[in-house]
Amino acid sequence: MMPPRTGERERCVTGIDGLDTILYGGIPRDNTVLLTGSCGTGKTSLALEFLIHGAVAGENSLFISVTENSEKLLANIIPYKFFDRDLIKSGKLVFVDLPAMYERLGMTKAELTMEEIDLLVAAIGNLAKELSIRRLVMDSITSVCYKLKTPEKIRDFILKLSKTLSDLNCTSVLVSEIAAQSSAYSTFGVEEAISDGIVLMANMERRGDLLRTLQVIKMRGTMHSRAKYVLDLTPMGVLLVPLLKGGSSAT
Amino acid sequence: MTDTRTAGNVARQLNELTPGSAVSLQMSVDNYLDVMRGVLDMYAGKRDMDTIYVTATISFEAIKRIMAALDIDTSKVYFVDCISHIMMGTEAAQKDERASLVESPTMLENIMLKVEYLMRRSQSKEKLVVIDSINSLAIHNNNWILSEFLHILVSGLRIKDAYTIILSVEEHSTPEIANMVNLVCDSGIRAAKEE
Repeated sequence: MMPPRTGERERCVTGIDGLDTILYGGIPRDNTVLLTGSCGTGKTSLALEFLIHGAVAGENSLFISVTENSEKLLANIIPYKFFDRDLIKSGKLVFVDLPAMYERLGMTKAELTMEEIDLLVAAIGNLAKELSIRRLVMDSITSVCYKLKTPEKIRDFILKLSKTLSDLNCTSVLVSEIAAQSSAYSTFGVEEAISDGIVLMANMERRGDLLRTLQVIKMRGTMHSRAKYVLDLTPMGVLLVPLLKGGSSAT
Repeated sequence: MTDTRTAGNVARQLNELTPGSAVSLQMSVDNYLDVMRGVLDMYAGKRDMDTIYVTATISFEAIKRIMAALDIDTSKVYFVDCISHIMMGTEAAQKDERASLVESPTMLENIMLKVEYLMRRSQSKEKLVVIDSINSLAIHNNNWILSEFLHILVSGLRIKDAYTIILSVEEHSTPEIANMVNLVCDSGIRAAKEE
């Protein structure tokens, strides 16, 4: 892994070797990154690994589950060699279900108001502050956006959330779901514009083979590779190798 | 190219390699078993190194049977099987934790990923990666992508000081394949057919 150059922003080392190499040392600290892709591309696994490595390195890490119950999520977790359930017991790795938070905050309606957005951002910020969270994943931001409905509200929510977390020195990953053949990086077209970084995960078909790919589209505060990589989800974590170009014309 | 006729000679020449070396091992179909004994038993086995055996020719199960018949210890051999899946015969590989399946020999990136995974898992000080064979991979891939694959794979293994052996079968070789292999290898061994 290449270390950050002198004068560059401090990095949040993801612990995923290939990704840290692509990012010249890791995600610039306090950035909000959109991790986007269609289903089955490995977004949740990569996001979880980012948190586990953080927790192992002593950084308190928070997973906010929106779509899936966190107990079910943990039951299906890849048996990572580096994952110890004591990280959860010790509070280094915390799982919170957002639907439970909605309920606690009395947000029972299908659409959130501007006031409720402020309330939700404050609640997440307070939780992150209380637990001294340095890494946060929200899976998925798309599900939250469905409760926000309008581009204005989505913009407002993500901007406020990013600022709140960044002020707390927390590096965050917002998982975004897109349709398989989508050329956009997010469902509502807003999320991508206001994130500091975009990591695109995809399924690429080549001569009938389906390859899982990863590409960093943008990352403020660092140079990065823009090439496409092929990945595998293994018990040793996410592994990445370059996509072979000789085959790129043979789709 | 060195002319080598026995398993012992193959092993002796492999023992002269320095860490991170890549070698082209050209053989005849008739020499296959000698080469297996030389590489896996007399070389890797004696040095107690983990071997990652990428098979694109026959299934890992068939290779294991051959090794058992030759009385070669396979406890430190880990397979990347690129052929069982396309033959719809994955049951044995799924039950064997020393076998990793790649769906098709066209998924060259996935071969690299499985090799990388096994490299990381290995506790052995010395590691050997065997590609069996470049000719089989050439059946499924064009020379451009295959050449790129070899270059990235071998370069990566060199950095990790692993040894790479690329098997090629004389009877099925072409000048293009020979050039491709020579480009990434430091030396060549020829296990020639007995006259």
